[in-house]
Formats: sequence, C-alpha cells, structure tokens
Amino acid sequence: MKRQQNLIKPILLSALVIGLVSCSVEVETDSAPSSLPTTETAAPTIAAAAPDLNGIWQALGSASWNLEGHAASKTPVTDVLGALAGIPAGMSVVEGGTIPYLPAALEQRNANREDWTNLDPVAKCYIPGIPRLTYIPFPLQIFQTESRVFIAYEFGGNSRTIHMNRPGTEAPIPSWMGYSLGHWEGNTLVVDVSSQMADTWFDSAGNFHSGALQVEERYTPVGESHLLYEATITDPEVFSRPWKIRMPLYRRVEEDARILEYKCVEFAEDLLYDHLRQGYEGPRNLDGTTRSATDDPSDL
Amino acid sequence: MKSFNMACLFFTAAFLTQTGWADVPMKSWGKPSLQGNWDYRTVTPFQRPAAFADQEFLTPEEVDEFETAVRNGRAARDAREFDGQASQSDVDVGYNSFYLDQGTTMTSTMRTSQLIYPENGRLPPMKAAAREAGAYFRALQSRSPQGPEDRNLFDRCILGFNAGPPMRSGAYNNMMSLVQTEDYIVIQTEMVNDHRIIPTDGGEALPSDMRLWKGDSRGEWEGDTFVVTTTNFTYLSRFNGTGENMTLTERFTRLDEDRLEYEYTVDDPESFEDKWTAVVEMKATDADLFEYACHEGNYAMPLMLSGARKQEAAGIEDDTWLPSWSR
Repeated sequence: MKRQQNLIKPILLSALVIGLVSCSVEVETDSAPSSLPTTETAAPTIAAAAPDLNGIWQALGSASWNLEGHAASKTPVTDVLGALAGIPAGMSVVEGGTIPYLPAALEQRNANREDWTNLDPVAKCYIPGIPRLTYIPFPLQIFQTESRVFIAYEFGGNSRTIHMNRPGTEAPIPSWMGYSLGHWEGNTLVVDVSSQMADTWFDSAGNFHSGALQVEERYTPVGESHLLYEATITDPEVFSRPWKIRMPLYRRVEEDARILEYKCVEFAEDLLYDHLRQGYEGPRNLDGTTRSATDDPSDL
Repeated sequence: MKSFNMACLFFTAAFLTQTGWADVPMKSWGKPSLQGNWDYRTVTPFQRPAAFADQEFLTPEEVDEFETAVRNGRAARDAREFDGQASQSDVDVGYNSFYLDQGTTMTSTMRTSQLIYPENGRLPPMKAAAREAGAYFRALQSRSPQGPEDRNLFDRCILGFNAGPPMRSGAYNNMMSLVQTEDYIVIQTEMVNDHRIIPTDGGEALPSDMRLWKGDSRGEWEGDTFVVTTTNFTYLSRFNGTGENMTLTERFTRLDEDRLEYEYTVDDPESFEDKWTAVVEMKATDADLFEYACHEGNYAMPLMLSGARKQEAAGIEDDTWLPSWSR
C-alpha cells in the first residue's frame, strides 16, 4: 500500500518546508489502488447509551503555567506589558499536591524551570500534546460520532481523532498529539493516549515527560455545563508512580461561542527568528523602539 | 457518438444519485454521510491543456494514454539535469521524486481539466490590480528575506499549499478527513495539520473586519449536497491570485461508497474578470491522516533567514530566491 511505503515521508517533509507557490509539478509516485474501501458507513451519531459531549469547552485556572500550586509571579516581559504579563496564582491540580519525580528527573525539571522562557515548547508554538492542550487557556470543541470523537483546539489550530472502534491498535510512528483510543465506561469517555513525542511539557514550569509517556484521560459529564477532566500520567522513566490531575471543563454557553483561529506561528516567529531579521538590534518595545539595558531612565 | 455516451452516463449517474438508488451511506438524521478520509490526489490538470482545446471529456482509452504520458514524463524528469549542475536525484529544486505523492490517476470525472467554468477550462483573465498584487508577492519572494513575513504562508507553516480553502491536489499530503454531526461538519486537512469547523445551519457571519487565514466558513444542505460559503480571508490568504474579498463556495456531494464530488467556485470580481469553477471526485480511503507538524520541523525558515543575513554581510544582493522550478 502506498501509505505504508511512505511512513518516513511525513517526518522528512516536516524538515523540508520549501516555498511551493503552486505544486503541480509532475513526478513519479507509486500507483494508488483504483478502488479503496470506505472508512465509514451509515451509523447513528452517538451510541444510544453514551452521553452527549458535543460542545465547546474550556478549562479555567492557571494549570498551563504550573500544574502544582503556585503564587503569582512575573514573566520577563512585564517591562513591556506590565500587569498584563504576570502569571496568575493557582492551586495544584495534581492529586496529592506534587508530582512524584524520580530524583534525577526532578533535577531536570528544576533545570527546565530555570530556563523556561527559552525552553517551553508552547512558547515556540509547538503542538502542546495531551494533556496540556486540554487546560491551555483556549477553548476546545468536541464532535462526537460513533466511530470517532474529534476534538478541535483553538490553540494552534490543533486537533486529534479519538478512535472508538479499534482497540488494541498502535500508532505507526510517534507524533506530537500521540495516538488516542477511546471507549465508554458508563458515562465516562476513557481515552488512552500513547506514542507522544518526548518534546512536549505539561506546563510552563518545566514539568516534563519522556517518550514512554502514557496518559489515560477520563471525561465525565457533571450536569449540563461541566465535564470532570481527569488524566493519569504514567512514565516510569520520569516518575516514581502514576499520578493524576483533575479539573472541571466549563461549557462555553454564549450563543455565539465558536472556535476561532489562534495560529500561534505568527506570534512565535518573533521569539524564534527576531535575531535573524534584517537590521536586528535587540528586543523591541511595542512601539517599535529598541529595548536596551543602557536606556536612560530619566528619559521616561 | 462519444459525447452521446458520456451524456448518457452522466445522466444515469445523476438519476441514480437523485433517487437514492446509488450506494450512498446515510446518517440517521436523513443526510448523506460524508464522514471518512478522502484522497484528492489527481493528475488531471487544473487548467485544460492546449492539446485538448475544445474537448471536455476523455474516453477511457484517452485517460489511459494521459496517465501513461504523465508517468513517462516523470521518469524523464527524474533523469533530467537541472540548471546544468545537478541531476533530479539531488534536491536542487527542493524535492526529488521521493518526496512527491501526487497520484498517478486522473480524477474519475474523466474531464480534461479540473476547471469546468469558464467552459474552455481556462482561468478567466486577471484584473490589473490582481496582477500587480501577484507581481508584488513574486518580487517579495524573489529577494533574500528580511524577516519571516517576506516568505509566503506555506513557508511559514500558517496555511498548507494544497489545504485551501479550497483544497487542490498538490505535491504531497493530498488527504483530508470529514467528521460529521448533525450540527457541524469538520474538515481536517493533513497538510499543515489544520481544521475548519463548519456549522450546518448557516451560522452567523463574522463581521467583515474579523479576518481569518482560512476565512469564515458557513454551511447548509441543499438537498443531498453540503454547500459551504467562505468569506473574510486575509490579504495574504491567496489562492491562485485571489484577494481578501473572494467568496468561495464549495459543494460536497457523496456519489457512492467510494467517491465524494468536490466542486468549488471562486467569485472574486476584484481580481478576476469572471467566476471560475473546478470539480474533482475524491476517493474514500482507509488510510489515516498523518500529523504534518510543519512548524515544529521548519528548519528551512531559520536557515533561509541566516542565509540571507550572511549574504548581506558579504554584500551580495540576491533576487533568485524563487525555487528553480517556478522561475
């Protein structure tokens, strides 16, 4: 099959983004089967017994800054954005309060935290992975069908498919969003997420994992407008035991609520490429003037 | 005789579809199921080649002939020298054939082009302002980039070159997935890992000053066809020379188990003298979409920018940044 032969291509292609204004050049590839079976046929949208999770949901709180309890603090851009650029305080969403790191991993977490503004993958607009995309402070929308549950995330235009009809299968390759297999346990949608890249973090505070990460998510309706979200994190290379986070997801009840675009690339470009711009002289203020440590404070 | 047979074939197909005799899976709420993964690779030319002049359809023999010619052309290209320096086995033009996945078959419409309107299968003339805009962007991408914004949205991993809207078969990753509930249809494109959420009840249009990279898409069913209207593009969201005030109308019709007809009309009177319409038939596939993590792997952008800075430092002015195949 064509697609199997091409497993390696998406990885290589990702590394070779070249300006293709129009890509109608003709070059040989393997032939595709002329008649392929269809993936899905007629089926009711939702299994009769399953609750309806369709809708736009959003986490509140500051878990994406730090899963563990934390007081409010500064970011490095308070000199530009003032009070808009503080990190809000938050109670721990980790069951038991703290994350059970292995000793060497805890050192790594602390090193990550020291240099988080340079290292947090989400600051660079990299795909945040699971569970972080759930509690990043942007809405998500659940589309529920019998064979798949699709979640669209506003942040970065990311999404994932939760396969409801292929238990026991595995992803052919790791990915930033991993491979999600779902099933119902009573009213709860249970999702096993495997094959995530090691490159994502759980928050901006340096909390991390390895490529061995397994996440079990549980989405349970609690009334009309709330879901209880729980995620159990298992990663024996980093943690001494599985640990769990929990938080509510709130339904966006505004009549005009919708997922809009937050294509984060355009914002991350400043962080990633500013130093490679023509005439780069250093970080700039919002008015375009260059920020300099030698600025005379008496000018202000 | 040929045209009679073709007309007969299409009439029959239309009749079967209209009367529900064709094998179209349905949703429990009475609409055709569009859900599934769809492959839109095709070698059918976007515009009708001069060789087919007034010929709208091909016979099965002519389709075979065309596909063979494409394969032979690719083989010849593989062996050809580029710029007199490197062979196609190198990556002189960004990609060699290993990276490309454009399919080997014509779309099952058996048409000579994807464009069906204007009737000659060719794009209508562009207006002067649109030609000027095109020249501006071409010049911008020819010069060594001053910053990432000088490169197009595809280089920046903001949009996918074949992901649209509208979707059109390109170099690779010509796959999309439809997820369907009664209230929404979501289009997930493999290229640049993106999605569009389309309400089936038309929804509320965004105010005209809220511009989105992919525009604002609203849908409704016209019988068994799902019709999506998209407006509010940005001035950078260009499709074949369109501008920010394009109105795009896409029509999705499931023909049977294996085929999804995808027809779209571009209405952009600021840029073109006339509307234009294209149609292809996408194929159902069991293959999953891969995660095309474009930005995460965009080593090209920092390399291009640092190359440009290096040229500057050496006092080199370079306006040859368009890839050699597009010059």
